[in-house]
Amino acid sequence: MLPIILLSVFGIVLLFMGFLKSKVLLLPATLVFILAALATTFMDWGKTYLYFQNMLLTNNLAILFTTIVLLSAFMVVALSNSFIEDEQAQPAEYYALLLFSLVGAIMMISFENLIMLFVGVEILSVAMYVLAGSDKHSPRSNEAALKYFLMGAFATGIMLFGIALLYGATGTFVVSGIKSYVYTNAYGVSLLLYMGIILLLIGMLFKVSAAPFHFWTPDVYDGTPGLFTAFMSTVVKTAGFAALFRVLSVSFVGVYSFWWGTLAALTCLTLLIGNVTAVYQTSFKRMMAYSSISHAGYLLIGLTALGTQTKQALVFYSLAYSLATISAFGVLLVVSRQRQDTNGVNENFDAFNGLARQNPLLGFVMAVSMLSLAGIPLTAGFWGKFMIFTTAADKGIYWILVFAVLMSTVGIYYYFRVIIAMYFREGAAEPVKVAPFYRYVLIAATILTLVLGLAPGLLEGLV
Amino acid sequence: MLSDFGIILLFILAAFAFISLVLFGASFLRPDRPNVEKMSTYESGEEPVGNANVQFNIRFYVVALIFVLFDVELVFLFPWATVFGQKTLINETKGLWGWFSLAEMSIFVLTLALGLAYAWVKGYLSWVKPQQKIPTVDTKVPQSLYDQVNKKYQPKAKASQPASGTV
Amino acid sequence: MQTDLLCSLIPLFPLIGFAINGLGFRKVPASLVGPISSAAALASFAVSLMLFSGFSGQPVKATLFDWISVGSLHINFSFQIDQLSLLMLLIVTGVGSLIHIYSIGYMKHDEGFGKFMAFLNLFLFFMLLLVTGSNYVIMFIGWEGVGLCSYLLIGFWNKNVNYNNAARKAFVMNRIGDLGFLLGIFLLITTFGSVEYTDIFEQATRFAVGDKMILAITLLLFVGAMGKSAQIPLYTWLPDAMAGPTPVSALIHAATMVTAGIYMIVRSNVLYTLSPVTLEVIGVIAIATAILAASIGLLQNDIKKVLAYSTVSQLGYMFLGLSVAAYSSGMFHVITHAFFKALLFLGAGSVIHAMSDEQDIRNMGGLRKHLPLTFITFLLGTIAIAGIPPFAGFFSKDEILAHVFLHNKALWGLGLVGSAMTSFYMFRLLFLTFFGEFRGTEAQRHHLHESPATMTLPLIVLAVLSVAGGLLNLPGGGWLSHFMEPLFAGSAQVSPEAFGHEIDHSTEYMLMGISTAVAIGSAIAAYVVYISRHAVPAPESAERSGIAKLVYNKYFVDELYEIAIVRPIRALGDALYNFGEFIIDGIVNGVAWIVRAASAQLRLLQSGSIGFYVFAMVFSIAVIVIVRFFVRF
Repeated sequence: MLPIILLSVFGIVLLFMGFLKSKVLLLPATLVFILAALATTFMDWGKTYLYFQNMLLTNNLAILFTTIVLLSAFMVVALSNSFIEDEQAQPAEYYALLLFSLVGAIMMISFENLIMLFVGVEILSVAMYVLAGSDKHSPRSNEAALKYFLMGAFATGIMLFGIALLYGATGTFVVSGIKSYVYTNAYGVSLLLYMGIILLLIGMLFKVSAAPFHFWTPDVYDGTPGLFTAFMSTVVKTAGFAALFRVLSVSFVGVYSFWWGTLAALTCLTLLIGNVTAVYQTSFKRMMAYSSISHAGYLLIGLTALGTQTKQALVFYSLAYSLATISAFGVLLVVSRQRQDTNGVNENFDAFNGLARQNPLLGFVMAVSMLSLAGIPLTAGFWGKFMIFTTAADKGIYWILVFAVLMSTVGIYYYFRVIIAMYFREGAAEPVKVAPFYRYVLIAATILTLVLGLAPGLLEGLV
Repeated sequence: MLSDFGIILLFILAAFAFISLVLFGASFLRPDRPNVEKMSTYESGEEPVGNANVQFNIRFYVVALIFVLFDVELVFLFPWATVFGQKTLINETKGLWGWFSLAEMSIFVLTLALGLAYAWVKGYLSWVKPQQKIPTVDTKVPQSLYDQVNKKYQPKAKASQPASGTV
Repeated sequence: MQTDLLCSLIPLFPLIGFAINGLGFRKVPASLVGPISSAAALASFAVSLMLFSGFSGQPVKATLFDWISVGSLHINFSFQIDQLSLLMLLIVTGVGSLIHIYSIGYMKHDEGFGKFMAFLNLFLFFMLLLVTGSNYVIMFIGWEGVGLCSYLLIGFWNKNVNYNNAARKAFVMNRIGDLGFLLGIFLLITTFGSVEYTDIFEQATRFAVGDKMILAITLLLFVGAMGKSAQIPLYTWLPDAMAGPTPVSALIHAATMVTAGIYMIVRSNVLYTLSPVTLEVIGVIAIATAILAASIGLLQNDIKKVLAYSTVSQLGYMFLGLSVAAYSSGMFHVITHAFFKALLFLGAGSVIHAMSDEQDIRNMGGLRKHLPLTFITFLLGTIAIAGIPPFAGFFSKDEILAHVFLHNKALWGLGLVGSAMTSFYMFRLLFLTFFGEFRGTEAQRHHLHESPATMTLPLIVLAVLSVAGGLLNLPGGGWLSHFMEPLFAGSAQVSPEAFGHEIDHSTEYMLMGISTAVAIGSAIAAYVVYISRHAVPAPESAERSGIAKLVYNKYFVDELYEIAIVRPIRALGDALYNFGEFIIDGIVNGVAWIVRAASAQLRLLQSGSIGFYVFAMVFSIAVIVIVRFFVRF
């Protein structure tokens, strides 16, 4: 588990690099650190290892999820060049916190022991609480941090209670141990186990912002500085779903009939609330918050219809979603910073008016990411949705499929609002400028989205 | 037979019983002559002023957090010491065990120390003194005149005072 | 020899030409446009010749990549080189190259010259895909592609609304046919589980003659051929397609694209042989088309329209040949027709060029003195198409008629009538254009000139081919029928009685004599009417009586279609549009309104108060637990 150790050490190194006069080195150093972690992740490719007395388990699936998480983090950091100019910012601390949160994310992805899951969730969450409030002079940012923290603590408590109940029922924290308990007591599992499953699920669903535990999401996403919102909506979600998948597919697959109904109901609720509420938003960032709720809904379909195709669908969907979300936030960051109005940065839809004319590249990047999020063919998002829907069809849960397709048509409405604003509305005349490296990152994400949209088979057979 | 939880329950019951017995007994035995001093809150000899429900300076929390951190670290050191000192393990590994566990604990302590050092360098541990706001007056009289006057009436015994714009 | 490489090179050259001229339109200098596109066509021709000379007699298949894989169905992007595709390759690239060269002279002064040459190259690319593809799907790509190019080139002068309408008409009619073709492909997939020619024909030999499925497939495929090869009832687009520049008419609407239907049927000969009913249907439609179109041609006054109806009529003859299982005769006529009809169109183009874009033969006359080269080549083409020996058209048409004679005497009689009409209207065209007095304006007379060498050179080459083309397949087992024999091995296997009717020589000579007599007789009739009596067709405004009016107005078929099909469909469209306006839109907008309203309400849940949030979470947890553990369902 070299990446975890490396990232922890790198985080500390970054903290102390903050004492240097020049901040120039921080960004490249962070990028190098993440790449190093990524490289060491792949050392375990193709094998299955148990680490630290059955605490962590790495396999190809975990490595792929880790790759998605690290890739997302890499792009987010690469888009963070504005810190250098900002006098108030503490880039060293931000980067260190990002690396620490990645440690938590990787632990969530590759846990074998529920204690590790809990520790991972906490490491990730605490770092995110701080980052949510990193804009110390903005009341909204402070509010976001406090809300996130209070509700997160509440959810963590519930999750911990669930884990405790599971221990009470099975006498073990180890995922595979719970699995064997479920299989050996197929007809008389303790009620505590059921209660534990429900509470653990609730705790995790909170982290991935599924309804009805989504209430924190719009407020927190809205208040948090855009860069960390991007991180939150990609890394946290991917790690959360990786954890959910591991615990559901390994431990609780034996009692599928117990939990799938509950999960299916929550899936539909999530899809409904996410998509329908997004329609009315005027702020792009808030719309993205609801959109992230709705995507949690799509991913949940894959878990509800747990089958052989699920892991591939989850990996592909997470990757497609992360790429599109980060490029969308990347464009938002530039545009909102250069289109300031009296209320500070403008994060509303009208900030994008006429963008396609002033900066065709940004317009194109945004259009592709919106199309991908909406699931239009030739983008990665389409195949992600396709695979997810296929899992539901394989399992024969057609009603959820119909509902999801209906909801994704609602989704087209609000994603296309951005495209319409960019291509058909008149906007400010001054061109939007983008730094070269920033541009390369956006282009890379867009190309990757299109390539995956044209050749979805590239990821096939990896898991 | 009592289960493990049953024993805990007995402990709880016994604790309640003991406390109520002692307090009840004490109130029987002691003389009861209250006055204002006696009824006030104990503050290590300081006189309590105002309401206790006020905002504390945030720095208390930083110090308290770091204190708790090292407290927990100490608590962790005790069980570690029993493992560290296990004769059988040391003998089985020909002394390597001791070095191994010592190294592990050193990494742990050093990491925490690093955190302490970071907080220290950052200045989170130093108490911020209230900044003196020196009042200034917009006047046409040049500073040099003030200095002359100050110099002339300078008390002989004392050391020279800073002469920066004070009126 | 790397046949794979050569196969992919053939369509690649025109594609490159298209890319250069298409992307570089207005950037590539006009002097380079022509050489580039012609070089692309000539390169393809050269490669085709190499393939032809190296052909061993065994079909060669070159697979480029696995294109579509769905379940057990695999569709390869692959080419098949055999006798049939080699013949088509040589026609398409050979005639295509000549017409490319001709276009340099004809279109040089047009401002869209680069675009024009790019489209021609694109057409060549799709046409080559059509004839070299090794399965029906590749053929379909080419089929659709040539349809697209035809559309683009008919409406090439897109500032003229009539031309655009003609282009649209061609496209729509072709689409009707394409639907049939597509359905046929689907049926092929369900029946044979493959679209690969070799697989299908191999499997088809195990079917019984008259199989219902095969009947359906062949009829549907024939619907496709009807559209592309302008047979009744889908023929009216071809005369209108003359709106395009003349080289287009020569290449696409005479020599190559319109023969795609014949190519397809010859390619699928096994299937057609299995279905005699379809062959009967084809025969009836073919003879009706041949006679109808020829009769319309008798009274047309537009030089290109006459040729267009002549093309429709000749295509009818080709199908007639196919309908009696004389596949090689059909192909033979495709080849000779490609020579002489391209020649006639290019000659007409030369005339139009000289006449300053005048197309009405009533305003021509006496042009043989001004355009000697054009006159001689046009004369040779006319003799060839009229079926006078020993020119190419005689041999190919005679072979078809001979096979028809064996099969059905009545059909043969009708064919002869058509042949007489063909000879008459062609000589009428020739006499009115090149003989007599000049009837045009003074300005036109002043402008009269012979065309440049880039235009006359192709005329000469094609004239030579039109004269000598008959040598390919002389009566009594010529080279061509021998060369194509392996293609029909499957057909011969499933239905031996459909083949092997050897016509005896005395009958053959008799038939030849009758055909020749009829053709020469018609020519003489035309001479009497238009040279001896100096008759000139009446102007547009003249009153025409009875049958003449009917024929002059093309039997009012366009008007009939307008009333019987276009208007009802348009009315239906209007009705559906109104329905859509009020009901569908109402539903759609209503749903959108409901979603928005729901959104406005759901949004209010997000109050911002953390107390409410936590309450909502606790409440939800309570509901989940209660529903899960206490409610039995």
